[in-house]
Amino acid sequence: MNTVDAKITHRRKKISLNQWILTIVLFLGSFVMIVPFLWMLVTSFDWAARLHINFPPRLWPEEPSVRTFEAAFTSIKMFRYITNSIMVSAGVIIISALSALLSGYALSKLRFKGANIVLLLALSTMMIPFEMTMIPQYLLFSKLGLVDNYLAFYLPALNYAFGTFLAKAFFDQLPTTLREAAILDGAKEVSVFSRVYLPLCTPIIATMIILLFLGVWNDMLWPLLILKKATKYTIQIGLAMFTYNNGIDKQPSIIMAATTVSLIPVVVVYMFLQRYIIESIALSGIKQ
Amino acid sequence: MKTDTFPETSNKRKKRFTRNDWMGYLFSAPLIIGVLAFAIYPMIAALIMSFHQTSGLSVGGKWVGFSNYNYVVQDALFWQALTNTFFIGIWSVLLGIILSFVLASLINNLNWSTGKNFFKAVFFLPNVVSGVATTLLFSFLFFPSKEGLLNFVIGIFGIDPVGWFTNPQISRYSIVLMSLWGALGYNTIIFLAGLQSVPRDLYEAAEVDGAGTYRKWFYITIPYLRPIFVFMLIMGTIGAMKRFTDVWLIGGTAGNPGGSLMTVVLYIYRNAFLASQMGMATAASYLLFIIIFILTAFLMLLNRRKDSLD
Repeated sequence: MNTVDAKITHRRKKISLNQWILTIVLFLGSFVMIVPFLWMLVTSFDWAARLHINFPPRLWPEEPSVRTFEAAFTSIKMFRYITNSIMVSAGVIIISALSALLSGYALSKLRFKGANIVLLLALSTMMIPFEMTMIPQYLLFSKLGLVDNYLAFYLPALNYAFGTFLAKAFFDQLPTTLREAAILDGAKEVSVFSRVYLPLCTPIIATMIILLFLGVWNDMLWPLLILKKATKYTIQIGLAMFTYNNGIDKQPSIIMAATTVSLIPVVVVYMFLQRYIIESIALSGIKQ
Repeated sequence: MKTDTFPETSNKRKKRFTRNDWMGYLFSAPLIIGVLAFAIYPMIAALIMSFHQTSGLSVGGKWVGFSNYNYVVQDALFWQALTNTFFIGIWSVLLGIILSFVLASLINNLNWSTGKNFFKAVFFLPNVVSGVATTLLFSFLFFPSKEGLLNFVIGIFGIDPVGWFTNPQISRYSIVLMSLWGALGYNTIIFLAGLQSVPRDLYEAAEVDGAGTYRKWFYITIPYLRPIFVFMLIMGTIGAMKRFTDVWLIGGTAGNPGGSLMTVVLYIYRNAFLASQMGMATAASYLLFIIIFILTAFLMLLNRRKDSLD
């Protein structure tokens, strides 16, 4: 008995030592991940770093000030860019999510003739990289006179095949009997979709909103092609063009202040929905 | 129960298209229009353009056969771009997979669930940061003089400042480091989901046979997660072949320093939107597509063949 007890306590001690080492290694790793953010924050509040990087690196601003942020909002039109980004994101999210939910519903519950062909078509185009199609898409929109027009974001948003795929998988899990009962009661297809099924879809809608928001807010290549007027710039292209024209590593604290502002929406969303985002990413990764 | 046996639709069954079919197409119309107009049409248009000598912004032009492809294949800059893209891609994909797998295994072995969630959240955080913000931030962290944070850190060990983004010998490695910071969390999250799906009884059986932690890791965890490894290789490769935002911001359309950051998409962008050589650019984009397609097919095959072996 005694030896068994001794063995167990010995084992426990060993495990907890392992746990300590694990925790310390992971803390060191997370420190490396976090340091760039800390440096960004410290620099963004440091008026002394508006022309040169402080040396040596500081843990607290040399001249703490919010003037860097004022400068960021005046020399880079941050307010306008953020407004533009919100308009683009909101439109794309609504259009993409609706398109995906409607088609996902049709493919899952209506089983119309040719549904499989539609699904196959949508899934096979998911593989096409955007970089492949960007030139003809750009030419199409410039011919239609939609350069500098947010329709160039809203129209391609109709094609959200990955969302269709997610929505179809989700609808497949919901019982078909709901629709049958509602139709027998004389409900129209549209109201079956919007009144019966849509309220059950909140998890998948939330997933799509998160994935779309992160994608659209952070996108730069398409805005770079389609937005020529500075007044139309989204936040990413606004920041990118400012630094592209002024030199990427000039005006540290003002650039860092602008960068911090550009990160606020995604980081706030991330802080509140962190577990949800991680789940969505894991889900989308596995499903893809 | 089939939907077309409903009382109100059953008498219309003889018609080729039922109400139900019409509804299906009505509901799918946004998707179908989107796919046709913004995926199928551009693919076909790009193919047609790649065989034409285009001028300015027009889609048509003189038919020139394969000469756009010939030009691209003989362009030294294209090969340089391809080499750089592969170089950066291989390093960042392989290091990314290995590091994130180790990281996911460490986090998974943590018994402390608050800690687990905390580390997941911290390592994933850079993933929500845009490519533009990451590049701006790292252009300061990788500042070429002693003021840069990384140069300061290596300076503590007596190493001279390194031109992370200004020395053509080093810039590609710096891009790898930067992309590791940004992408590590994504792979880690997916590996963690995979690690949790490994059946416990496999480990228990191995423990009965006297296998230790590392043997279990090598002989159970890694083989079991092979589909996830292949998925990461495929997604990582596709992503790496499309590298643009960071190299464009750092080195402009010339891929500076010294062309070391010229990538294939940068090459396409430059030819299409700076030189207005749309035909040539679409030819290059088709070549890129073929390369991605072959790589993806190869990686998928790799998975399948190994599957049949065991």
